[in-house]
Amino acid sequence: MNSTWFLYMFFTAVLLFTGIYCLLTMRNLIKLFIGIEVIGKAISLTLVATGLVKRNVLAAQSLVVTYIVVEVSLVAVALALIINIYRKTKSLDIRQLAKLKG
Amino acid sequence: MVLQILLLVGLVLFSVMAILVKDLLKAAISLAVASLLLGIIFFRMNAPYAGVFEISVVAGLITVLFMLTIALTKGGDSAESKVASFAFPAFFVVFIVIDALIMKKLIQKVPALPGPEEAGTFGQVLWNTRTLDLVGQIAVIFAGVFAVLALFRKGDKKDE
Repeated sequence: MNSTWFLYMFFTAVLLFTGIYCLLTMRNLIKLFIGIEVIGKAISLTLVATGLVKRNVLAAQSLVVTYIVVEVSLVAVALALIINIYRKTKSLDIRQLAKLKG
Repeated sequence: MVLQILLLVGLVLFSVMAILVKDLLKAAISLAVASLLLGIIFFRMNAPYAGVFEISVVAGLITVLFMLTIALTKGGDSAESKVASFAFPAFFVVFIVIDALIMKKLIQKVPALPGPEEAGTFGQVLWNTRTLDLVGQIAVIFAGVFAVLALFRKGDKKDE
């Protein structure tokens, strides 16, 4: 059982690394948001894997369901923001946002 | 267990593809496939409700939202740094080696002890044990709705 948990944690760490690398190096706003989604997948995998090992799958599932609902709201608001930014700057480049004037 | 490992490898591969592919539409589809694989992994881990939510909401709804945004922001592509894409495999391999070594070290030192067996059904746990979470979920959904309404409201003529 112990080794199973570490196997899941290994893959979670790889997913986290992928998401954080995307956040640090990419410039497209939608790509950055895809990076956040990948990190979110790592989090839900961690929750269920820990629940499975601790024999608490039901509580872990309810946490994952809550997280997914929060994720949907987050995605809706963030994509609305991205559309508004595109209307203002005509670009999805994150560097354009550094040139905002007061 | 072998199938589970293959599914996990597929999840990582599709997530990497979602990040490295230049076409945003293909990236969104790769993310949807990754969600689908994660849903199947949840099913195999005795978590069917989490799997159903993952497949229907994350692989379905969120992908549709992504595609809608990509369609509405056509022509706004920004050039990604080529160095970042080319350097990724090297960093990725180094990270996997470090990750494997750390997990191998920890496996003997940190015990993941099983807790007492859970009783009841998913519905009982969700409605009785985690009732406040549901209140929070409702608040978050309303916050999301009002935020989207605020972002898309029509400006006054003076502002335009």
